[in-house]
Amino acid sequence: MNIDITSLIAQTALVLLLSPLLSGLIASLKAKLQNRRGPRVWQPFFDLIKFFRKDMVISEHASGVFAAVPHVVFATALMAGLMVPLAWVPAPLQLFGGALALVGLLALGRFFLALGGLDPGSAFGGMGSSREMTISAIAEPAMMLAIFTAAIAGGSTNLSQIVMAGDGHAGRFLEPAHTLAFSAMFIVLLAETGRVPVDNPATHLELTMIHEAMILEYSGRYLAMLEWAASMKQLVLFGLLANLFFPFGLAPGMLPAAVAQGMGWLAIKLVGLAVAVVLVEFTNAKLRLFRVPDLLGAAFVLATLALVSLFLFR
Amino acid sequence: MSSSGSKSFSAALKPGLRRAMEALAKQFRGRITRVDAPRPDEVYLDADPVMAGALCSTLYKKHGARLAGVFAEDARTSERAFLVYQIYALDAVGGFVVVRLALPPEDPALASLTSAVPAVNWQEREIQDWFGIRLLGHSNPRRCAMHDDWPPVHPMRKDFDLRATLPPFRGERHKFREVEGEGVFQVPVGPVHAGIIEPGHFLFSVAGEPVLYLQLRLFYVHKGTEKLFESLLIPHGVRLAESISGDSGFAHATAFCHAVERAAGVEIPARARALRTICLELERLYNHVADIGAICTDVAFVTANMHAMRLKERVLRTNEHLTGNRLLRGMACLGGVRFDFDAGRIGALSGLLDELGNEFNDLVEIIRSHSGTRDRLETTGVLSPKVARDLGIVGVAGRASGIDRDMRRDFPHDFYDEVQFTVPVFSEGDVQRRLAVRREEVYQAISIIRQTLNKLPDGPLRTEVREVPPDRVALGFVEGWRGEIFHWVHTAPGNRLARCKVKDPSLQNWPALSEAILGNIIPDFPVVNKSFNLSYSGTDR
Repeated sequence: MNIDITSLIAQTALVLLLSPLLSGLIASLKAKLQNRRGPRVWQPFFDLIKFFRKDMVISEHASGVFAAVPHVVFATALMAGLMVPLAWVPAPLQLFGGALALVGLLALGRFFLALGGLDPGSAFGGMGSSREMTISAIAEPAMMLAIFTAAIAGGSTNLSQIVMAGDGHAGRFLEPAHTLAFSAMFIVLLAETGRVPVDNPATHLELTMIHEAMILEYSGRYLAMLEWAASMKQLVLFGLLANLFFPFGLAPGMLPAAVAQGMGWLAIKLVGLAVAVVLVEFTNAKLRLFRVPDLLGAAFVLATLALVSLFLFR
Repeated sequence: MSSSGSKSFSAALKPGLRRAMEALAKQFRGRITRVDAPRPDEVYLDADPVMAGALCSTLYKKHGARLAGVFAEDARTSERAFLVYQIYALDAVGGFVVVRLALPPEDPALASLTSAVPAVNWQEREIQDWFGIRLLGHSNPRRCAMHDDWPPVHPMRKDFDLRATLPPFRGERHKFREVEGEGVFQVPVGPVHAGIIEPGHFLFSVAGEPVLYLQLRLFYVHKGTEKLFESLLIPHGVRLAESISGDSGFAHATAFCHAVERAAGVEIPARARALRTICLELERLYNHVADIGAICTDVAFVTANMHAMRLKERVLRTNEHLTGNRLLRGMACLGGVRFDFDAGRIGALSGLLDELGNEFNDLVEIIRSHSGTRDRLETTGVLSPKVARDLGIVGVAGRASGIDRDMRRDFPHDFYDEVQFTVPVFSEGDVQRRLAVRREEVYQAISIIRQTLNKLPDGPLRTEVREVPPDRVALGFVEGWRGEIFHWVHTAPGNRLARCKVKDPSLQNWPALSEAILGNIIPDFPVVNKSFNLSYSGTDR
């Protein structure tokens, strides 16, 4: 494993800076559709700066786990961000197993986030953690199957290899396996980023929350890290969806001109996906909590069909 | 018009009410010591306190009455007794029977009616807390209107000074009932909430997500409003009544004015009655539209809410154009209304109605065609008609659970007997039906305002209400947007009040929430709560 330092630094900066912008873009687009003026797209940066400046209030019932959680969640999200090819291939970090390691990293982050929800012993945090675990138990297999479909098509579990193998095969977009896996992954994306119809990132109603309930007890610097990590995780999933299923326009190496072009393509793909997500949020109500597994079950079935059709229509 | 015997009732008494009174007088010969009928639809009976239970059962079973309110008055100086009043509404005949029970000044006690009429549970406990009248046989006699950290005082007694300062909290805080079992957790919510709402504590006992039991605790913002009325001149009471519950300001003020006007025996000019009706319906409009949007927000269908907010804003701006205040504050006054609607204002109001009619249709269509929202609202938070009847649920929530009552139709006040409208009633009692009642009432409100504008009488804006004679009693009532609002007054010398009882529909409806949430999952609570949308301030007073 040889690490390209330029690529590493560049992608770290890209992940850190692009992720709040993506959150801001989604919030802003949503507001526009609802006839509201809405926040500026860079509002999340101001929020992060504000949180970093604020003091923290920590429950007297909290243990050391509570303090460890933001660091672990932030680190896993950033590492996941370094593994996904965004504007250029290969991605700077290529851990063993590729896709498997990515799913593992996300799961580790989620596990600690759930611990953070439980640790201070507040009722809302416990509810959030329990709901998150219920949902991820179904979302995770669907995500793995969808990624494996792409992995088999690309002949590797290394994410950069998959993307490189797919580049230039435009005809693949119409294959059933591709479409089905994309659909499954899109549903997983909605669940994992806490979007309507699974969760509502904009609500103030503690009783209905999932992700927000787990981080209710956090404030100040820790909250900033968790919010930032959530944005990075969102970028990871968006990037995964964008580049696994639309593998073109990525720069083959760190040449400035090619990277600039790659960034342009990345921006186009992210905006396209953001518009799709916003449209889903805009036109849907939240599902009853016990209906969410049905939706994710559908994602799982779609992913399974994708995998099967890969062999059937080969 | 008082008659101490039981033979002759005033000929002015409504026929149905007179028949009921004659039957009662016959059955309780000798036990009803005095009958007083100050108005055709309002009769006072003085009865022996031991007969309260029997009277209640007869009124319920034979006369289709319901106990709409129970309250007390400290009359130790004038009558050497504590008085307990029980207001029975005879909806079918459009009249009220008020039973007055005199209790001894030392250690007053009365048999509780709660086990027979669960609807008065909180009201009886309120009497117990505020007056120190023991309610014997109450199934849950713990403190309600005054929290456990209050010292043992009874602030509604006359010898309690309004300006008294009490020692700080000592002793034990409230203990909630414990719910035990494997996997049962307590989820405390409040009293301070995340939204911009008032305080109330909800303690859920849950097994996983399903709710097993919900305990409510209110009265965090008790302001002593009823006591405050006793310190004010009657005309100033209108402004106080306006602020009892912010979203029902005009309805509360009007109910207070009704009570005082009835006590004074004043006739209200036709134009004032019409303008009051328009304002009551405007209040209903903006609240119903906002609630429909808010219900959609609580299932994360924000799109519908954004449209609803836009419509609500349009109504509020019209309110400001008409009365100078977005929430119709300052419009109500004794004897009529403060401001007239000139041709320009009437034009603006007609314009609003035309626009609203179309745009509200669009909003209804957006919600109706949205299967995700319907799935969330139907079968959620069911309040069965039986439970609703037992708890005496009123207003929107009652009509969604099969209780076909509306003061505007059953006890027509203001201009309501001169307009045509229907009262929507559903029997399913879920969130969807509470939304549907609001939806239909918006259409009805638009129609009522149109009809009133078409018939708008000319003439003076108000009758002057001079000093109200002392020692008169009167009940004022209004169908507010949330449900029936009662103000009962007892006048005192010097244009003041000896007692003003305020009953907001929220006080009656809060216990319904504990029943409607059973069998639902905890993330559905906010939308169930929103579908009732009860007032904290109106309850706590």
